[in-house]
Amino acid sequence: MQGDFYQLLKEQGYVLGTPGHSGVGQSLTTATTILAFKYRDGVLVAGDRRATAGNMVMYDRTDKVLEIDRHSVMAIAGVPATAYEMARILEHSFKYYRRTQLQELSFEGKLRALAKLLKENVAAALAGTGAVVPIFAGYDAEQEVAKIYFYDILGAEFEGVEYAVSGSGSPTVRGILHYVNTWGEQPLGTMSQEQATVQALRLLTCAAEFDSATGGVNREAGLYPIVKLITAAGVTVMEDPSLRSLFESKVSKGV
Amino acid sequence: MYEEPYRWVEAVGNRRQYLDEQFAQGSPVVGVVCDQGILLMTMSKGTPKLYEIYDRLAFGGMGHPADLEKLRFMLLEMAHVEGFNRSAADVTGSRLVKYGIAPVVKQAFEEVFKAPSIVKIMLAELGQKAGKDGFLTINYDGVFEEKSQYAVLAATSSVEQRMMEYLRRQDCVSLKEAVDVVIRTWAVGDRAQRQAHETRENHEGAKESSDQLVADSQALLTHVRQRMEGKAIECALLDRQVSGTSKYRTLGSVELKALLPSDLSSALT
Repeated sequence: MQGDFYQLLKEQGYVLGTPGHSGVGQSLTTATTILAFKYRDGVLVAGDRRATAGNMVMYDRTDKVLEIDRHSVMAIAGVPATAYEMARILEHSFKYYRRTQLQELSFEGKLRALAKLLKENVAAALAGTGAVVPIFAGYDAEQEVAKIYFYDILGAEFEGVEYAVSGSGSPTVRGILHYVNTWGEQPLGTMSQEQATVQALRLLTCAAEFDSATGGVNREAGLYPIVKLITAAGVTVMEDPSLRSLFESKVSKGV
Repeated sequence: MYEEPYRWVEAVGNRRQYLDEQFAQGSPVVGVVCDQGILLMTMSKGTPKLYEIYDRLAFGGMGHPADLEKLRFMLLEMAHVEGFNRSAADVTGSRLVKYGIAPVVKQAFEEVFKAPSIVKIMLAELGQKAGKDGFLTINYDGVFEEKSQYAVLAATSSVEQRMMEYLRRQDCVSLKEAVDVVIRTWAVGDRAQRQAHETRENHEGAKESSDQLVADSQALLTHVRQRMEGKAIECALLDRQVSGTSKYRTLGSVELKALLPSDLSSALT
């Protein structure tokens, strides 16, 4: 009667991850750039769309910014198989809790749920077959504020006060985010939705420039990054036509 | 003492009588399909009787709160494990009822040495397309029925018949019309139940005919207004227009006030 869906799954014999076998040397599907930062109305979470295995581009339409419920998003970097499984567990866990306990799981509770899954996955992560380094962002209804958290592969959680990044392209965008937020024309937290979206497109374009495992914009194929916005009203997905228009008017110069 | 077959049949008969008495003063539940989705309605005293089960499944119940909770949890567990292991599209009301709780309710009813489940349950399912919506109802003995446009739960099958007859003559397209219809249908059921109860209490027999019971709309609304004292109108909607996967939402007091017939909305606190 605790409303714990993961516990219910385990009672039925479910095991997350595949520990015990070393995956070192194998070409697992990994690599990415995901980022989240606070803007005027809430949090923006964005990610490129490339999935790679070693030198091979496996897929260029991946959605790495996953809507877990109406007010939370998990952006994934690492092994997609495990990351998507974690996202599915979280989605069901939050729904199951709400429906059994007749109240929303607290934001703190949602963070713990992800940390718990990462801890359960440590063996697979260390074996090299299931490392996931996610960002979790959402709107805390209790405190009426949007929040960003990032994790290491062992399940430690850290609050990204203004922004958080993860994935192979993250060193590039982390430096830019720090620069823009400290010495830019205006801090990230004061940006409008449009300014924040332009910033996200520019950041991911930079990451793609320096990281081969991050996919950039492909205008011919109509491929743009995934950008989601979280506000008090819930999660909104930026549609491709809006991204295309912003990219062409404010980003494409020099690309 | 129940080894002999006729004793067992007698025991089951007694149990039926006992259960019928338990529902005599329960609050009926009404479900109707409208253009916006499926609307469920009942009147409750504190503990809610309408719940969300899965993305497109809603639950309405009559009976003992502890038994309802037990079966609600069973449904929640089955639905979520199935939705995780297979997919949300594989979680259907039909499978949950036929292979899930109906056998459990039937077994509890027939095991005469154990307490039966004091429950009547309605499961509403919003289809992926309009026209594919449906209802399943389960009686305390495990008998289930499938319906398409509307469904009801009430103390006895004759009261349910009366409510269904009333619903058959109604048109509800918009949500506002649906709210009006479910409220009046609830009144038809509640009036009939109270009438039947009083008849049994007085042994005199009430003289009110079924036509009088299904009186004009105004009389039905007046009955609801009288019954609202100490109780709350509970409405839940499986809303086709809600974005995201979960379609269930309750109608809050502000929304309900705007949707209820004017002489009832003024009585809403």
